[in-house]
Amino acid sequence: MEAASAAHAHVEHPPEANRSSRVEPQLLGMLLFIISEVMIFGAFFTAYFFIRVVQGDPWPAPGMEIPTGPVAINTAVLLSSSLTMHWAQTSIKNGNRFGLRAGILSTLFLGICFLTLQVNEYVHVGFAPHDSAQGSIFYGLTGLHGAHVCIGLILLSMVTIRAFRGHFSAESHRGVEVPGIYWHFVDVMWIIVYTTIYIL
Amino acid sequence: MTARLRAPGLHRGLIGAALGFALAYAIVLPVRAAQGLHPVLDGDAVTIVGLLSAPLGFLFGLGAFDYWFYYLTGRPTRPEDHSGHGARSWKDYFRVNTDHKVIGIQYTVTSFFFLLVGGSLAMLMRAELAQPGMQFVSTDGFNGLFSVHASILIFLFVIPVFAGLANFVLPLMIGAPDMAFPRLNAVSYWMLPIAGLMMMASFLVPGGSFSTGWTAYAPLSTDQPIGQLFFTVGVQFAGASSVATALNFLVTIITMRAPGMSFWRMPLLVWANFSTSLLVVIATPFIAASQFLVLLDRALHFHFFDAAQGGDVLSYQHIFWFYSHPAVYIMMLPGFGIISEIISVKSRKPIFGYRMMAFSLLAIVVLGFTVWAHHMFVSGMQSWIRIPMMITTAIIAVPTGIKVFSWLATLWRGVLHLDTPMLFALGFLTMFVIGGISGVMLAMIPVDIHVSDTYFIVAHIHYVLFGGSLFTIFAGVYYWFPKMTGRMFDERLGKLHFWLTFIFFNLTFGPMHYIGLRGMPRRVADYSQQYAGWNLFISLSAFVVGASTLVFLYNMVSSWRGGPRAEANPWRALTLEWQVSSPPPIFNFDTVPTVVGGPYEYGVPGAVHGVFRKPGEVRPPTPAGGGATQVARE
Repeated sequence: MEAASAAHAHVEHPPEANRSSRVEPQLLGMLLFIISEVMIFGAFFTAYFFIRVVQGDPWPAPGMEIPTGPVAINTAVLLSSSLTMHWAQTSIKNGNRFGLRAGILSTLFLGICFLTLQVNEYVHVGFAPHDSAQGSIFYGLTGLHGAHVCIGLILLSMVTIRAFRGHFSAESHRGVEVPGIYWHFVDVMWIIVYTTIYIL
Repeated sequence: MTARLRAPGLHRGLIGAALGFALAYAIVLPVRAAQGLHPVLDGDAVTIVGLLSAPLGFLFGLGAFDYWFYYLTGRPTRPEDHSGHGARSWKDYFRVNTDHKVIGIQYTVTSFFFLLVGGSLAMLMRAELAQPGMQFVSTDGFNGLFSVHASILIFLFVIPVFAGLANFVLPLMIGAPDMAFPRLNAVSYWMLPIAGLMMMASFLVPGGSFSTGWTAYAPLSTDQPIGQLFFTVGVQFAGASSVATALNFLVTIITMRAPGMSFWRMPLLVWANFSTSLLVVIATPFIAASQFLVLLDRALHFHFFDAAQGGDVLSYQHIFWFYSHPAVYIMMLPGFGIISEIISVKSRKPIFGYRMMAFSLLAIVVLGFTVWAHHMFVSGMQSWIRIPMMITTAIIAVPTGIKVFSWLATLWRGVLHLDTPMLFALGFLTMFVIGGISGVMLAMIPVDIHVSDTYFIVAHIHYVLFGGSLFTIFAGVYYWFPKMTGRMFDERLGKLHFWLTFIFFNLTFGPMHYIGLRGMPRRVADYSQQYAGWNLFISLSAFVVGASTLVFLYNMVSSWRGGPRAEANPWRALTLEWQVSSPPPIFNFDTVPTVVGGPYEYGVPGAVHGVFRKPGEVRPPTPAGGGATQVARE
């Protein structure tokens, strides 16, 4: 079908699109994606809300103990990874490649530490998702967050590989900035999950 | 041969799918062995993982992620040479293509394929319902028919076909050379056929297709045979696809408008897709999550919805309807945009109350999130939620009413051109008002309780989605057919299609109001003798509606192959997509146009929406539109 065929003599390149907003497209795309991610968490929190608040079930379930102490360390690990991420971002903005590499590697390391500690907690927590609705909520929310840490780590490893291949500079560092925003989002989300599941 | 297999394309896609399925075995077997589960080889578990991994393998194989793979490993990415733009033969439609016009056609054609699938299922249902008693299918089979019918038509037809039309038209309308993220656009298209084939494939698995309706209420859906998973996972792919597209539309609209195109100069179709995309980005994650929760309940024995273990059954309905009520507007707002374009062009008048039209779209977006529980009046939820939801539901009819009155005021004393797109637009107006009014009736709690789960609901939803959405889709497809294909459709066949559809649509769904009020329950394969006469009448009318689609198909296919060549601007429209050739040039514009006026200044002498300035040229601007049939930039 000659539907979209180029009957017209065409130029080799499309015209430069007009930029009608000062916001970078990639940045805006990431922010919108984060909005939809927040809504996914929102739906899981709705399930939490219905079981804990609407039904008024005891939290945690009788015979189930949620370990608050060790998870505080875990929280500290994840929060400090946000700082190292920020370090990486400001370094490359100033053209400091060493800072970028050191910052991104330590972020990656802290992120992996967090996941390891989380898995360790699952192993020793002493209840399973199929024990009770409360258990399902606990594993559902922390697991959903863990999945997001995984996505964040995949993005960060992309950044790491490219950083060590010498890809970013003071002028062009969007590839660090956008995954960085996602990583900060994962951290902020953890604070909410931590507060609702472990502290409250 | 090996080179051909390694190159991105359908071959490699199928290999990727097979590898993905193998991966499912590779994941499931060791995990089950390590957990000491019996049997180690469990079809259910493998299917669950396979449903996720095989499509991803297919997408990898197809080449949807090639660029990102190069990017993430830090290898030099191939600079975009735009060789992927345009489609030179029909085979190009079966490849990953980053051209928004190709993707738009891929989307539209794929969605219409699923319209035929969903429509055929409806024909089977009407055949079964023509007489009381059981004739053609079992009761379980009937449940499967209406479930797959609804799911396919909602997730694979109405939602994506609007994305398809907008994909083609929207960048042209705002003067952009392409969408903001062309590669993401391609990925979001290719997730669609996956979701659709998954839902269709559910008929083939042991236990039959999913049969819980498109709502898949838990806990019914958590203990169904394996076919249910094909819905649960298929919805994930359809949902991911529509979130990605919506995000893309939003970024495109915000960052890529032509100079001079302020928000208040955007055509209403752009406004409509802006509002819809907001709804999609905010609401669609809720259905994704609801199906994740069902998946966890079913596959890993979580207890989100298991009341015996402390789960809350109603939370599923709340989460589901928090998406699925806004989804009603996701299926309607783009149609509003299409109708605004057509009614203004075809009555040669500026749209009445342009700003109110845009504001009412935004009002619907906001109010759309406040009405979800009106689907749950009989569910046994806390009774205090009912009254607020009844009131918000009545209020949301106000912005919709503003739009209807604005369209009527646009028609008032206009120079009406009653061709096929306009006929469908007017058909939409009348039918949608009927569906809207029965909607307001249903918002009233006593009425809702009385007719809940009867054919009155079926009539209401089909007046809104068939008489509403589908009519706008037909109107839009006829309206932009010359632009998309470069050919004119057969006007006589178009009118035949309209009148057949319009008359027999009413004969099919009109009587359903009546038998619904008389108490005939929906979602049943058999019914009491007293409804026999009406049901036979409805079935016969439904078959004519089905046949009328064949007229449409014949018209589209034959016109695309051999219709008369279309002019650049057959409707004498002002918006930018009509100021380029039909079909549009491969990069849309040689230079980005400058917008100097509103989009709907029909009947205003000398009014111009956009002008093309050659590089370096200052004056005089070539007027674009305003009756010019030739391409201004040549």
